[in-house]
Amino acid sequence: MSWWEFWKPKKERLDFIRQFLELNAQSIPGIRGIDQLNFTVLDTETTGFDPVKDSILSFGAVQISGMKIQISTAVEWYPLTENTSRKTAPIHGLVEIAHPLEVEDFSKRLLEYFGNSILVGHHVSFDLQMLGKLLAHYGISQFPNPVIDTLRLAIRLEHGPNADLSRINMESYSLDELCKRYGIETDDRHTAAGDAFLTAQLFLKLLKNCSKKGIFNFKDLMKNY
Amino acid sequence: MANVIVNRVAEFLRRFPPFSFLGKDDLASVARSVEVLYLEKGEILFRQGEAAQPHFFVLKEGTIHLVQNSVQGEEIREVCDEGDVFGVLALLGKRPYLLTSKVIENSLIYAIPVAVFEKILEENSRVALFFAAGFAAGQVVVRQDLSHGQKARGEFKNTSGDHSLMIFSDQSEVKVSEKVVSCAPEASIHQASKLMAEAQVSSIIICDDQGFPKGIVTDKDLRNRVLASGISPQQPVSSVMTSPVITRKKQDGFSDLYLTMIRNRLHHLVLTNDGSDQSPVCGIISDHDIFLSMGNSPAVLIHGLINTVEVSEMRKIRDRAEQMLRYYLENEVSMEFVSSVMTEINDVIIRQALALVQNQLLSDYPEMATVRFCFLSMGSEGREEQLLRTDLDNAILYEDVTAELHDKAAEYFLKLGEGIVEVLLACGFDPCPGKIMASNPEWVQPLSVWKKYFSEWILHPSPEALVKVSIFFDYRAVAGSKTLAEELTHHIYQEIGNKQIFLNFLAQNALTNPPPLGFFKDFMVEKSGEHRDQFDIKARAMLPLTDLARLLVLSHQVVGINNTFRRFEKLAELEPNYAELFAQAGKAYEILMRMRALEGLQNQNSGRYIQPKSLGKLQRQLLKNTFSPISELQEIVNIRFQLDYFRK
Repeated sequence: MSWWEFWKPKKERLDFIRQFLELNAQSIPGIRGIDQLNFTVLDTETTGFDPVKDSILSFGAVQISGMKIQISTAVEWYPLTENTSRKTAPIHGLVEIAHPLEVEDFSKRLLEYFGNSILVGHHVSFDLQMLGKLLAHYGISQFPNPVIDTLRLAIRLEHGPNADLSRINMESYSLDELCKRYGIETDDRHTAAGDAFLTAQLFLKLLKNCSKKGIFNFKDLMKNY
Repeated sequence: MANVIVNRVAEFLRRFPPFSFLGKDDLASVARSVEVLYLEKGEILFRQGEAAQPHFFVLKEGTIHLVQNSVQGEEIREVCDEGDVFGVLALLGKRPYLLTSKVIENSLIYAIPVAVFEKILEENSRVALFFAAGFAAGQVVVRQDLSHGQKARGEFKNTSGDHSLMIFSDQSEVKVSEKVVSCAPEASIHQASKLMAEAQVSSIIICDDQGFPKGIVTDKDLRNRVLASGISPQQPVSSVMTSPVITRKKQDGFSDLYLTMIRNRLHHLVLTNDGSDQSPVCGIISDHDIFLSMGNSPAVLIHGLINTVEVSEMRKIRDRAEQMLRYYLENEVSMEFVSSVMTEINDVIIRQALALVQNQLLSDYPEMATVRFCFLSMGSEGREEQLLRTDLDNAILYEDVTAELHDKAAEYFLKLGEGIVEVLLACGFDPCPGKIMASNPEWVQPLSVWKKYFSEWILHPSPEALVKVSIFFDYRAVAGSKTLAEELTHHIYQEIGNKQIFLNFLAQNALTNPPPLGFFKDFMVEKSGEHRDQFDIKARAMLPLTDLARLLVLSHQVVGINNTFRRFEKLAELEPNYAELFAQAGKAYEILMRMRALEGLQNQNSGRYIQPKSLGKLQRQLLKNTFSPISELQEIVNIRFQLDYFRK
């Protein structure tokens, strides 16, 4: 994508960013109960694991509100990036993508979808870094939303808030292992939306455990992050 | 394009009937509307007798038992595992659940909204047959063979009379207190009453060393037999107890237990293991417990609210209040009564929320315990006409404090407001889009600042200020010190007295609402956007009336009447030559409120937008008739406040 396309962007074209930032300017009260919170559970598939070189192939997500996964909110989007070239696509079996989205269209949908929800994912900082790279044009390389990593949450629930990460076997906290441990069927992994759905189910179960450990509201939930 | 997540849900559903009978598109639309929930062992999804939820359920994984509570105790009627469909009563008859669903193993459950399925049920005969034949789990009534027909009819009868005024909403759910306060016969009256005070109960059972009930002493006994007759509290409690005790067993069934209490004029009924007094005590029912189980009457709901500190319980009671509201509206109960009842319920919720949050905060802010404050409701709740849980508008007003307490007070009252607003949101109220809520620091202020706000709006009635006026002028003190609010009101009238022209601005504002009817006397509907072709009943019909009522009441310097139709009543009294018109306007407002609330209840929204085409002829005419007082009143205001000259 060349720089002149974004030169002097029209005012209304960027309204969605202003709206997104405005929405997030207001913080969620710490005493709000977990069952009143809105979460976006997300995952991305990328060309690789280098945040500098690689880019996003697909984005999948589903939202949780009222402690329920709302299937009606499930999305699966394929942004058109420079790396989605003929070269890499066939490897991942993503040749015939029905509706690839232009970056601007993707960004617009993404921010509208996120709103001021709490972003959740497994190793979510990586996904957000990759998404941030895509949105850097618009000055949003870091999302203002609160963020929860299911990996950290699982460790916190199983080992307590002061767990020494260096002494924990991180392999047992991969999404696969966690799903096994929490009894979640992992039939078709490795699509962004598929993994997002697994993560959402895992997160739902973790949230249930939260209340047992005395984590009842937003403030408790975000402690340690 | 269906995505992976929807596909995955659809794949699962497709394996089980009745979803296996669905075409691809129908299946996708069902899958897309699923909500996934997770319950752990011991939790309960729905209870016998509870009103049906707008969902039915498919078990994705885990085990759920459907149990029936009856005279014989608990009985498992059905064991659900993967793929079983249950809770379909909601789909079939919108009747209360006949069974309780208990989670036996941690369960992942798909909830499917009834609304999506209703259409399919109509079109797909195989699916309809599936339900009609009672293949879904827990369809007790349909499943019984003919010999049980009598019983089945009985069960139908019980529940088909279900509306919000059912006398006993849920017989099996009468709460039996299992923790019974008891003492030995040798204990002194003083000791016994101390035990009662500690446990906050109104009765104590006197048991022998085996736990068999020997007698009972109640609050009333302490009054009549001890205090009034001057017996020393050091006497043994056995000297004043009622003995022998009438006992029943827990499994006796509600009607039997209740009848025993009525026949013997008992306020407390002791339950023992085998029902005789030669068996250990296992519970007690008080008439208070019975009272709470009695359906949805305002007194019961308010009583229930006052006696709970659980937010989830408050929410349930508020939901029940909505059922009651629906019944009232459909049965044309007078709007004055309905709105007073709903306002009282909303107010109690606010007061409970306040007490709850205050308790949590006071240990951190002991110096704030004596600072006077007042929780103000604004907008429709301030006018005592909020029937549905639409926007919250509220604020906090507190007395001016010394300079060193200033910051502390601001912090405390903001936290207080935040807490209350959170409780209200959790009870199902919608937040105010304009952020006019007690969680916004701008609207949590000491009296001096509030006075300044109002003076400013009155002195500089800019368009924005006039919008604020329309919300803030209808404030009402719901909890806390009412005198603070009165002080503010006094200040406002003084300011208006000094600047009469403010009323002219207000009048002008009251005439700017869009007209309800077009040139050809047709409804003016929205031209574009989400609500295209719908009629905005709030902006075009109700707001003009509230604005006019407020203006005229202010101009007469009337204090303390917030309700729009009561304002019109008062105006009819003050201006006898327009009495007829004001009476009509009040009536019109009542009709509009009823229409809007019914619309909102039907569509589960704010009811603000009405489809004129969906109204019957009679209703359309009724609605149109409500507009005529609006234009007449507007003309009067136009002349009285000389707006034709004013605009120049």
